Amino acid sequence: MKPDLLRIGDYELRSRFLIGTGLFPNPYVQMEAIKASEAEVLTFAIRRINLESSADDSILQHVEEGKHIFLPNTSGASTADEAVRIARLARASGLSDWIKVEISANERTLMPDPIETLKATEILVKEGFTVLPYTSDDPVICKRLEEAGAAAVMPGAAPIGTGLGILNAYNLGLIVEEAHVPIIVDAGLGSASDVAQAMELGVSGVLMNTPVAKARDPVMMATAMKLAIQAGRQSYLAGRIARKQYASASSGFDEFILK
Amino acid sequence: MLLRINGEEHELRDVRTILDVIEFFGLLGKPVVAEADGKVLTAEQWPDTPVTANMSIELVHFVGGG
Repeated sequence: MKPDLLRIGDYELRSRFLIGTGLFPNPYVQMEAIKASEAEVLTFAIRRINLESSADDSILQHVEEGKHIFLPNTSGASTADEAVRIARLARASGLSDWIKVEISANERTLMPDPIETLKATEILVKEGFTVLPYTSDDPVICKRLEEAGAAAVMPGAAPIGTGLGILNAYNLGLIVEEAHVPIIVDAGLGSASDVAQAMELGVSGVLMNTPVAKARDPVMMATAMKLAIQAGRQSYLAGRIARKQYASASSGFDEFILK
Repeated sequence: MLLRINGEEHELRDVRTILDVIEFFGLLGKPVVAEADGKVLTAEQWPDTPVTANMSIELVHFVGGG
């Protein structure tokens, strides 16, 4: 059987799990969870260095070098210009030319601003970045981002960190149907059943952070999410049965033994 | 020389280039990215980028995030 790879930009990934690196209780648990997840893509944020503290608080010291693709995000940006600036800073690190465009206009919901996201995507694609925009679960904006040259489009299932699961499965299904680039559900998932549901809708992968990092046992949850991705993916590829209103017996009624 | 680094004023002596600033804060060899007056710099550009009085410098790095 041909391996079921996920192509994003110039890369072919075996794992459909993209994992975030925030909020873990400590670096050891984070590393173990990343290992258990088998994720090949790790997300990061870009922030100012604390010049007062001599401690090396760089997240990279806790990540095994060369094993992962780094996907820095533009969190903290509320306009396209700010996101472009953060993206350029991220690329100047020499560590990656992938960028997750994340532009939030509302601090309470952290909902993405689709218009600024589209603008930033257009600019960054022209500058040669591999752009993965995080956006709302709207089929039209997802299509527009694809047309702008996004390497993958990442609609949210629910607001970041809420764990509410897929709020609009209908929209996600439509987005997948119409897409010619990978669709990755980013944000809002809470548990393995949410993940399996997303994969069964036909999305190409999921990006998660909070549901793993804040689980009671993050390492076990990373394993559970990995298995849910695999189960959901295979269920999607295998093709589920149609939903029916009434029962249909598994053995038929023709030779019912008690008659 | 008075510089504005990460939004705060710092008086640094004997710094001529961005590389000197990076060294001053003990950040050499660490995964740091510098921006000087809005221009993003790669590490190769640090020794060739002179600092000027009141320059606005950002020193950033990767942190945990989703």
